[in-house]
Amino acid sequence: MLTVPHTTNYLTEHFGDDAFTTLEGYRARGGYEAAKKAISEMSPADVIELVKDSGLQGRGGAGFSAGMKWSFMPTDGDQPSYLVCNADESEPGSYKDRILLERGGHQMLEGILIAAWATQADTTFIYVRGEYAFPADQLDRCVREAYDAGLLGENIFGKGFKHDVVVHRGAGAYICGEETGLLESLEGKKGQPRKKPPFPAQFGAFGMPTTVNNVETFSHVPHIVKNGADWFKGFGTEKSPGTMIFGVSGHVVRPGLYELPMGTPLDEIVFEHAQGVPEGRKVKGVIPGGMSMPILPAGMLDVPMANESLRERKTMLGTGGVMVMDERTCMVRAACVITYFFRDESCGQCTQCREGTGWLNKIVERIERGAGSEGDIELLLDVCGKMEAKTICAFADAAAWPVQGLLRHFREDFEEHVRQKKCPFPESFEL
Amino acid sequence: MAKITVDGTEYETQEGRTILQALDELGILMNGVDIPHYCWHPKLSIDGSCRLCQVEIEGVPKLQIACNTPIKDGMEIRTQTAPVKEAREGVMELLLVNHPLDCPICDQAGECKLQDYAFEYGVEHSRSREPRRAGKKNVDFGPTITFDQERCILCRRCVRFCREVPGTGEIGVFGRGDHSALETFPGLELDNPYSMNVADICPVGALTTKDFRFKIRVWFLEDVPGICTGCSKGCNVWLGTANNKVYRYVPRRNDAVNETWVCDDGRMSYRHIGSADRLDRAMVRGELGVLEVTSVDDAVAAASERLRALVDAKGPGVVGAVASGHGTNEDLEAFVRLLDGLGVENRGLATVQGESDELLVQAEKAANGEGARKLGFGDAAGVLDRLNTGGLEALVVMGHDLLDAQHLGGIEGLERLDTLIVLDSHHSALERVAHVVLPARHAAEKAGHFTNHEGIVQAVAPAVEPAGEAVPEAEAFDRLAAALGVAGEDAA
Repeated sequence: MLTVPHTTNYLTEHFGDDAFTTLEGYRARGGYEAAKKAISEMSPADVIELVKDSGLQGRGGAGFSAGMKWSFMPTDGDQPSYLVCNADESEPGSYKDRILLERGGHQMLEGILIAAWATQADTTFIYVRGEYAFPADQLDRCVREAYDAGLLGENIFGKGFKHDVVVHRGAGAYICGEETGLLESLEGKKGQPRKKPPFPAQFGAFGMPTTVNNVETFSHVPHIVKNGADWFKGFGTEKSPGTMIFGVSGHVVRPGLYELPMGTPLDEIVFEHAQGVPEGRKVKGVIPGGMSMPILPAGMLDVPMANESLRERKTMLGTGGVMVMDERTCMVRAACVITYFFRDESCGQCTQCREGTGWLNKIVERIERGAGSEGDIELLLDVCGKMEAKTICAFADAAAWPVQGLLRHFREDFEEHVRQKKCPFPESFEL
Repeated sequence: MAKITVDGTEYETQEGRTILQALDELGILMNGVDIPHYCWHPKLSIDGSCRLCQVEIEGVPKLQIACNTPIKDGMEIRTQTAPVKEAREGVMELLLVNHPLDCPICDQAGECKLQDYAFEYGVEHSRSREPRRAGKKNVDFGPTITFDQERCILCRRCVRFCREVPGTGEIGVFGRGDHSALETFPGLELDNPYSMNVADICPVGALTTKDFRFKIRVWFLEDVPGICTGCSKGCNVWLGTANNKVYRYVPRRNDAVNETWVCDDGRMSYRHIGSADRLDRAMVRGELGVLEVTSVDDAVAAASERLRALVDAKGPGVVGAVASGHGTNEDLEAFVRLLDGLGVENRGLATVQGESDELLVQAEKAANGEGARKLGFGDAAGVLDRLNTGGLEALVVMGHDLLDAQHLGGIEGLERLDTLIVLDSHHSALERVAHVVLPARHAAEKAGHFTNHEGIVQAVAPAVEPAGEAVPEAEAFDRLAAALGVAGEDAA
């Protein structure tokens, strides 16, 4: 058996230590040993096998197997191939990548280096959300330190392996977090998702084979290489191994980031770690994984935070951004905020998304104003149905799901608005 | 080869195509197989954004867009199932949520794909009670195009056209979501030699040409197939006709010639058909020394008398002939018969030369220069040299492109001719010195064939009645030959 100590916070364990953000401090904690091991002792295929075996799921929202994704990269051919690190964290309610960039820059870079070896990629582009100025500065420094130490550039670890890292700052669009929207933006074009096929593994950044992974996904990789797949599978659930950083926000006593094993029950996160709602009020609903995931009502929080279990409750893990709303919350107002966001952020390419997001927003705002009518709820559901699974990217789905979730569990809120011809929640947050 | 099944019928097609491309190649798209589409255009890159062309594919759980889905051998495609119809209804309803529905005052009405598809694939009633998005109206996009932002469905065909065809890229979609808007880039206007094509490919009334808008409702137009005669490309066009008038040219697809485009200059050349300077009566220079209007018969007789007298006295060597690239092959063949009958060997072709580009526009500004050359008309320089050295006493001229010919030492060179016979569709300076003038038909007024610069022979048929008493040149030449007694048995 493995002798590595079981810790439930391997990602964030040293985040309280300023030295950990520097190369020196990171190496003092064993940093870059995993990369050295991978590049010196393992073949790229071995690394991919290991990561596949670990069951690491992408932490950017879709939860696809990271090792599997890497295996799609062509190994033959003489054209360059690229990795992209998606640090365009923009999902409302999600702020886990920010801490990983600010406090664990080298940890992520080491993961990138290992992934680069595994996929034999030439360059990694780290696309950082434009608003993340401080994290991007930290990352710039880390990259510089890594180059100076020979951990990036030519002949890494004396093994003839060459890899470059470019930090690219975005300009503030949610849709640039969608992997092909990101690639367009990276290339200097308007951030609009690409139709598929072709897929990024064949035609990605600048037309070259490309794999896009999330900040957190890369950050797990050194730990897997260091400690093995079995160690990793020791955390979390059978299908969703490892830990995840859950970002709790909203009506809780202790909002913040909590690194916990996948499958930690949602109610444990809300009531134990975040210590529940202040002033003894009750929870009304919780969005489990960032704003685009359907909400769960107070009675359904006894669910492990893993995709396999959340799907049974018609929601998903997403980015692990847990948003708690207390009993005073008007769910129609919540719908107004959510639909406004998606209306504003839709890239505008696909008909259903461009027109549907706006229409949803106009309808819920009308209901909130007290001007709703009988058929509006059915109309909302119908428009959601017209948007779902019919567009280039998943944005339209992400805009429809939360509305469907609110109507599934809080339909009476909407009906009450229509009946009373006004908002019946005077104590709710203001729009 | 790949076999695909569409709604139960099997087709053979090439691999490496998407479903819409394959159906388009087979000639059955919207012509047997109905897959409505907005953003896809056969000659532009694939956009995949309007989402109207979704179809069901056996074994694939979600509907797929036919424009971007590559065909595979054995693929079974269904285009008329309930989920497909529902998806189309969804797209149509959503497209209309913000559309101003101003068809009664929209110039596109009658040839609007939003109108057509709403009827064909949409739902009858709107469930939208919300205020519609307001947009800019009557936006001046440049010298040729007016834009209506409210009607735009953001299919971006025009954006891709400007980037990919003329390569000028003056327009783009700015903003996001339902506040996206088509605009010209700052400091640019939509101004390129092919700009008006954006109005053709715009499925709605967002982009209209300043030339045609509000001239006539399109349902009054009869579209007659024809050829643009602006240059030797011979672009295929539809002549929009009503009231015995041509209101516009729009490109007619011919992948071997002009694909789906026509240049702006060519498009605007429709104006020559019914223009005020049309030559519509025959004229003969009378005793007072001025041209007098007469009948075609009298003019033919006058021309015949003059030529007969000259040839009888001095032989055919003093007669020259200048053909035009505006005549049909039939016109030019008749000219050859006449000249052969008379024994005239001084023959040449005069065409105007101008700008060209790598897309469509050819330097030779006549539709049938190649046809004339194939019938033995070389450059007119030889004929003109002979004229300049006093070797010619009579000249029979088609058109007035001669006036632009290099070797013509000004119109004065023609003054000393004993006989100048001109057949032309338009008035020109030649009339100052001509002795007999015969009115010729425009290409839109006659039947015949043109041979384009690549040797492709294309037919035309009359789209409008001829101007005045204009006759096809072929008929004029044959009548002249008959009067001269040199008509062969064929021509008679």
